[in-house]
Amino acid sequence: MNDKNLLKGLFLVLIALVFGIGAYRYYPIGRMERAGPGFFPLMVSSFLFVLGLSMAIRSRFMERKPIPFSVKNIVIILASLVGFALLSEFVNMIAGIVFLVFGSAIAGTSYSIRRNAAVSAVLVGIAFAFKYGLGLQLPLY
Amino acid sequence: MTEILNNLAFGFSHALTLQNLMFCAIGCSVGTLVGLLPGLGPLATISLLLPLTFSIPTTGALIMLAGIYYGAQYGDSVSAITMKIPHASSIVACIDGYQMTLKGQTGLALFTAGVSSFIGGTVAIVVLAALAPALGEVALLFGPADYTALMLFGFVCVSFVTTGSLLDGLAMCMVGVLLGQIGTDVNSGMQRYTMGFAPIYEGISLVSVALGCFGIAEITKNLDNREERTPFNGTIKLWPTWPQFKRIIPSALRGSAVGSFLGILPGGGPVIAQFAAYAIDRKVSKYRHEIGSGAIEGVAGQAAADEAAARTSFIPLMSIGIPENAVMALMMGAFIIKGIQPGPNMIASHPDLFWGLVASMWIGNVFLLVLNVPMVRYLLSIFKIPYAVLFPAILFFCCVGTYSVNNAVDDIFITAAFGLLGYIFLRLSLDPAPLMLGFILGPMLEENFRRSLLLSRGSFSIFVTRPIAGTLLAMIGLFVAWQMFAFVRDVRKARAGKTALPAEPAPIGAAPAVAEE
Repeated sequence: MNDKNLLKGLFLVLIALVFGIGAYRYYPIGRMERAGPGFFPLMVSSFLFVLGLSMAIRSRFMERKPIPFSVKNIVIILASLVGFALLSEFVNMIAGIVFLVFGSAIAGTSYSIRRNAAVSAVLVGIAFAFKYGLGLQLPLY
Repeated sequence: MTEILNNLAFGFSHALTLQNLMFCAIGCSVGTLVGLLPGLGPLATISLLLPLTFSIPTTGALIMLAGIYYGAQYGDSVSAITMKIPHASSIVACIDGYQMTLKGQTGLALFTAGVSSFIGGTVAIVVLAALAPALGEVALLFGPADYTALMLFGFVCVSFVTTGSLLDGLAMCMVGVLLGQIGTDVNSGMQRYTMGFAPIYEGISLVSVALGCFGIAEITKNLDNREERTPFNGTIKLWPTWPQFKRIIPSALRGSAVGSFLGILPGGGPVIAQFAAYAIDRKVSKYRHEIGSGAIEGVAGQAAADEAAARTSFIPLMSIGIPENAVMALMMGAFIIKGIQPGPNMIASHPDLFWGLVASMWIGNVFLLVLNVPMVRYLLSIFKIPYAVLFPAILFFCCVGTYSVNNAVDDIFITAAFGLLGYIFLRLSLDPAPLMLGFILGPMLEENFRRSLLLSRGSFSIFVTRPIAGTLLAMIGLFVAWQMFAFVRDVRKARAGKTALPAEPAPIGAAPAVAEE
């Protein structure tokens, strides 16, 4: 089952199904001369479905390749992004920056608290420069 | 001819204001610097820096963006020459450029690349100034059915050129088109696929898609690889001798011609132009026996083609309004954010913008030559920063960039979601570049498609009977048939020989394989 080419096709089929079923069930299709909002997405996702399916079928004629997949790094990165967003919303962006740096650094090859502190400080400085130099509306504090 | 000169002079009068000069210089240098960073090609660089231009007046913003683009392109070739770090956009520079570094001629290679880029860019701007207005008039003949066919043709070309696999690329285009459907339908006012999540009522922000797929996904992939790069420590002796300098010119001129031409075609652009120029140099150059082992020609031709194609690929965008590759799609998104709709009317309604941009491209070329080439050794010190410091900073810039589009924290969640999606695509070896094109063109495709059906009262025959649309669709049909034939033949051959050959098409398709590493 861990075959890159097969999973590729299946993943695309899944996307096609999500969009296609959504279009079919919830949005009016309309008629050819007056297409409704559901017409075009249904058509495109049907095409994608065919493409995905033919990729899955094609994979049976090709050599199998396993997927190099590690969950750890992507989870760390996404978690630190979400943490940054939440902290910026509910506390302030400086806290968010510190969290982002200390959190995401876990995914790196080495971890150093001093280095992270320095990086955070520089980034906070850059954020201030953005806010007062370029006029970005950052909720820094 | 005088008209072109007049127009260019008009453009220079806009581009040469102090403010615009500054934006051009900032764009070029920041673009080069960010483009040097491992894992950040032009697509990632532009999307990362796009938010910086939001608070700048329109002309300045577009000048700066264009500067970022060719700055990033140049930065890419620098990291390819000095450290053999191939980004998607400068694979060819790795071949002879890195060989020259191994021979201790890094400076010469960088100088060659810089000068050739300048020559390529200059030629391309003349082509651009001459051709874009003319093509804009042709574009006025296009009806909605023709636009639909042209976009589909673009999808097919881009899919084949950038991913090497028509099936994969087309599928990614379609995913992009579907993602572009999210938001309010312009015709009926109905919300599609928003699931009641308010931040996406207006559609998903371009910056979120680009930063997710090209920024966050790339960073994570680099982290997975866990490779520490050794910074470049050699010496750089920039100035060539006169005989060396003379060798640059013919090759660069050949590259400029090839690049200018290939840059205009749908699906064309820098990557394919580099390959073509390199191949031609290997055939016709006086020093062809040296190419491959670090010859000046091997760097000059491809660098000129790279730069020329980077510029002429603006032609379809600005005259017809259809971007021909993912980078141009991103540019188009930036134009639209700035309230400019690229297309046949753009030159007429915003002549100052168009000619100012064209003129600024040449100024940008000068900046690259006089600023970046001598500064390269300092720029390279960015590689002494360990990746453990770099990637949290890049993540931070991704966050700030996303945030500043709407001043909304919610957009960061969307970027994170696209980071995940982009990562899955990368792991499945699906190139997100066609997705970008599909995403930008999706709404236009739907609009034109629906309009053509409206005009033809629901009959698909409109796509066949109109000469432009019919021709384009026939070309797509032929191409698809040829691809299927090639696949069946490959499978048969593999079965007959019992050697498990992967059924990927060969020469151009080899490009993304390098970019994947």
